[in-house]
Amino acid sequence: MAHPRACGPGALSIFLAFTVAPALVAQERTTVGGYGEIHYTNPTGPSSPAEVNLARFVIYLAHSFSDKLAFQSELEVEDAKIESGVAGGEVGVEQAYLDYHLADWLTLRTGLVLAPIGIINETHEPPTFNGVERPAFENDVIPTTWREIGVGAVGTIPGGAGLSYRVYLLNGLKAEGFSSDEGIREGRQEGQHASFANPSLTGRLEWARPGLKIGGSFWYGGTANADSALGTGSFAAPITLLSADARYEVAGASFRAVVATISVSDAAAINARFGADVGSRIAGGYVEAAYNVLTRLAPKSSQQLNAFVRLERYDTHAAVPAGTTKNLLFARRITTVGLSYKPTFNTVFKGDYQLLRNGSGAGEGEVLSLGVGYQF
Amino acid sequence: MLSVAAQTPPRGKLAASITRLFGQGARVDSLHVDSTTVLRVSRRDSLLGFAEVGNVIGKDQPITFLVAIGPDDRLKDVDILVYREPRGGEVAYEAWRKQFRGKTAADSVRVGRGIRSISGATISVHAVTAGVRRMLADLTTWHRSGAIR
Repeated sequence: MAHPRACGPGALSIFLAFTVAPALVAQERTTVGGYGEIHYTNPTGPSSPAEVNLARFVIYLAHSFSDKLAFQSELEVEDAKIESGVAGGEVGVEQAYLDYHLADWLTLRTGLVLAPIGIINETHEPPTFNGVERPAFENDVIPTTWREIGVGAVGTIPGGAGLSYRVYLLNGLKAEGFSSDEGIREGRQEGQHASFANPSLTGRLEWARPGLKIGGSFWYGGTANADSALGTGSFAAPITLLSADARYEVAGASFRAVVATISVSDAAAINARFGADVGSRIAGGYVEAAYNVLTRLAPKSSQQLNAFVRLERYDTHAAVPAGTTKNLLFARRITTVGLSYKPTFNTVFKGDYQLLRNGSGAGEGEVLSLGVGYQF
Repeated sequence: MLSVAAQTPPRGKLAASITRLFGQGARVDSLHVDSTTVLRVSRRDSLLGFAEVGNVIGKDQPITFLVAIGPDDRLKDVDILVYREPRGGEVAYEAWRKQFRGKTAADSVRVGRGIRSISGATISVHAVTAGVRRMLADLTTWHRSGAIR
């Protein structure tokens, strides 16, 4: 169907009234996806046999109500099963939120969301990272998978510069769960009857162009949960987390780096109240370099065989409050070397060898791991 | 891509895209080839180029985009008209889309060979790149054979 040109000074001079066959209004649709990973772990040392485990089985269930409204969710089963009386296994909803797209620069997001901090917390499907296990830094310092309930805004900043942001107001962490070896990890509430005594602000600014993505994140909020020993205000016993990360790819090589520092201002009061030995500063990071050797061996292939090395260095006792003794056991240095074979960008076979070291020299060892992972 | 239910983009976005690529005052005619609608863009009597709206599935939802070529069969631009998912929206960034400008059907339009990816957007990058490659090939074939002129 041809249409006449519409003229008029200053008027939009295009008149489009055509059909894109077959023309359909955006339909409601439900989609299912998922990811999973299976691990073989063999630590060195006597009395430590190898183990195989269905580490994660995850279902993504999503529904689009219209071009503006969509529901997204993630349901995870860890260690294959939960059986009463038997240790191990966990089932958890890790994401469940409604997105309301108002403009490219503003989507309102409400529900159980991933804290926008670091790399792994928001992007943890097995084919997206090297190494069988997630970096220990993104477990002990940035407590992946970190998810809490709240409201926020997400969008691309206008101007075409490649900037995007995410900012949320979420329920806070509970100081009662903090520990010397895992920092703030067990302070997470994960969407279950979470106390909203300490609403916390978290956000991320991200800049991307082909081959480079850089991000900066923060979390600020109280952790006292209205405990009179720590303070009853919303921002009592606050923690401040600052983090930066970068990913760079060029000619078959890829690099990533993450750093983070957490300040637990009232660690002394927290330790007195709960009999703990939490650090007042938790900090560290890692760098990783990888090279797809198929770039040389099979340049026309779309498969990848990435050889990588990662150096992690972090300390959950980077600083300790008065009354707590610094423990060098928590000053960790982990070196990981390995291979990731990706026949498609959604599937991966992994292998790695890790050297686990710490400042005290106790409990050190090596681990050989193999894994298979997928996402769809 | 043909198995994806075609999503009609909002009229305003499509018109704005055509204006940005071909200028104000362009005439747009709809041509129908192989059950596809191709837009023929011209001004007075000269052909400015062709454009086609495509849909590819990203992770789960369709990504609706526009591919425009000039009369020389070189790709003018790719415009993302509707992006429906929480992740992978970086395909709408100018810095990513400008990699396609000037490509012909003879050039390599593949991730890793001619088109670089963006971290965290691998799925949408692959989907849109494949869609653009197919549409560029189709438009070029149709133009050369005279099916569109």
